Amino acid sequence: MAELTPKERVMRLLRKEPIDTMPFFSGMGMVVMPGIKKAGFNFPTIHTSAERMAWSAIESARLMNFDCVVIPYDMTMESEAMGNTISLYEDSEDILYPTIPNKMWSTLDEVVVPDKIWEKGRLAFLPEAIKIIKENAPELPVGCWQLGPFTQAGQILELDLMLKGVFKQKEKVGEVLDKLTDMIIGIGKNLQAAGCDYIVLREPGVAADLLSPRTFKEFIQPRLTRILAAWDSPKLLHICGKTEPLLEMMAQCGADGLTVDIKCDVRKGREILGPDVLFMGNVDTYTMTCDEKTPVQKSIDHIKDMIDGGVDAVMPGCDLWPAIIEENMKACVDTTHEYGKKASPAVGRL
Amino acid sequence: MATKEELLEKLKEGVVEYEEDTVKEASQQWLDEGYLALDGIMDGLAAGMEIVGDLYDKNEYFVPEVLMCADALYGGLAILRPHVPKSDEGVNAQVVIGSIQGDVHDIGKNLVKMMFDVAGWDVHDLGRDVPLENFVEEQLRTDSEVVAMSAMMTTTMLGMKKVIAMIKEKNPNVAIMLGGAPVTKDVANLFGADGYAESAGNAVSEGIKMIGRLREMRAKG
Repeated sequence: MAELTPKERVMRLLRKEPIDTMPFFSGMGMVVMPGIKKAGFNFPTIHTSAERMAWSAIESARLMNFDCVVIPYDMTMESEAMGNTISLYEDSEDILYPTIPNKMWSTLDEVVVPDKIWEKGRLAFLPEAIKIIKENAPELPVGCWQLGPFTQAGQILELDLMLKGVFKQKEKVGEVLDKLTDMIIGIGKNLQAAGCDYIVLREPGVAADLLSPRTFKEFIQPRLTRILAAWDSPKLLHICGKTEPLLEMMAQCGADGLTVDIKCDVRKGREILGPDVLFMGNVDTYTMTCDEKTPVQKSIDHIKDMIDGGVDAVMPGCDLWPAIIEENMKACVDTTHEYGKKASPAVGRL
Repeated sequence: MATKEELLEKLKEGVVEYEEDTVKEASQQWLDEGYLALDGIMDGLAAGMEIVGDLYDKNEYFVPEVLMCADALYGGLAILRPHVPKSDEGVNAQVVIGSIQGDVHDIGKNLVKMMFDVAGWDVHDLGRDVPLENFVEEQLRTDSEVVAMSAMMTTTMLGMKKVIAMIKEKNPNVAIMLGGAPVTKDVANLFGADGYAESAGNAVSEGIKMIGRLREMRAKG
């Protein structure tokens, strides 16, 4: 059997069908500086046009041999479309993602999501970016993502309003989360209609070192479940931080697979989930891919350990930080492809 | 009339149960009864926060509860602190604190700041989304002993490395504390930082432990 293309490999994996070897892919940031440079752009400009976003994504994937492209790159598109101003840090020499320095709403009551928000601001060019990628890199699957409602709330309001509100203003917090849940469903459907091949719901703000599992169950799980039920497959759920206490509840949310970051022990995670759940993670996105002091062999061992620990695909635990050390990054990807030829718990081999 | 012990208990409980009004009322009562403001802060408010730290470590409290306890503590601190004579502080230290450029979250930073506020340090709070050079300039301007930085996002934490190098180059004796969700102990070591708090929650847990040590030192002294 001939080698699968990255797209075939990832799409089959997401359906738990046998594949040739393990993919290295993600539903979060996969854009890296060598790819951005090859495409001829500066970091602050890749967030603001379909063309620049698409080509920086394609070049990043091709240079590093990633099994996907992922757009968009930053977490402020929705907040900006609601009327907030973003900071692009165009004068900074460092790589800084866009942020919302000052939020226009200061209370939970003020939140209003515009109708058809996906037609506003930078969200409006995402379908065009997907189209460019599909036309020019048909071998690569296009992954898109949406923040979960709690984390998204932190982009439009001060996060402590939401955190304290969980106790002090339960009803209002619920209302904000419901409004954002509807928005996230709508944007996700729009991205799927535009041709994104898989979608990830990422809710990093609800890890078990921030919110109690009880709060997760009461406020978060029902909304994540509603979003995932409304989206088509393939759809994944990612939570950063301490997730072991949440994994069982995450598995009940209706995603086709779960992804975690370095604070989750994949062996324990696999033990909790059993062999049938598609489970992915959790490359350390600083030490293993960005730190010049990390020997390449250490990055290789990190990937092998993860595969031995029971992941079905190797995924960065978070956005890849774009200033990668190429040698380490490539070693991570190559090791995944070479060492991942044997079957993983939930996915067989051709 | 409440006894000293009863009032201390009320201050402690008020912080633990995040009852801001109770804490304010008990703080005022404490002053009205003529007790030393610093005792109320250390043996009431800070002692309550120590219990909060324990509850957080035992996974009984999470960040929302800790934030509400912090509000209650600040309610009392605002009443008691102005009545502490400068000579009673026992601490004459300064800290520069802020969230690094690119990071607009400041929960972790504010929780660590609380620890310094309780301890009576002069806190130079630069806020959030702070350009790197501002940390260096503020440290030099104030000659602060400690610089505390936080980053909630992986993508901003690398800026810390530059700040540490810039500060250490100019003044190697400055102690540097890092905190924020993505900063692991390994990363803190690699960056050359002196202190480390793993997350917003651990920042408070670490901060509270420092309050505990401060209280121990005070008891001995």
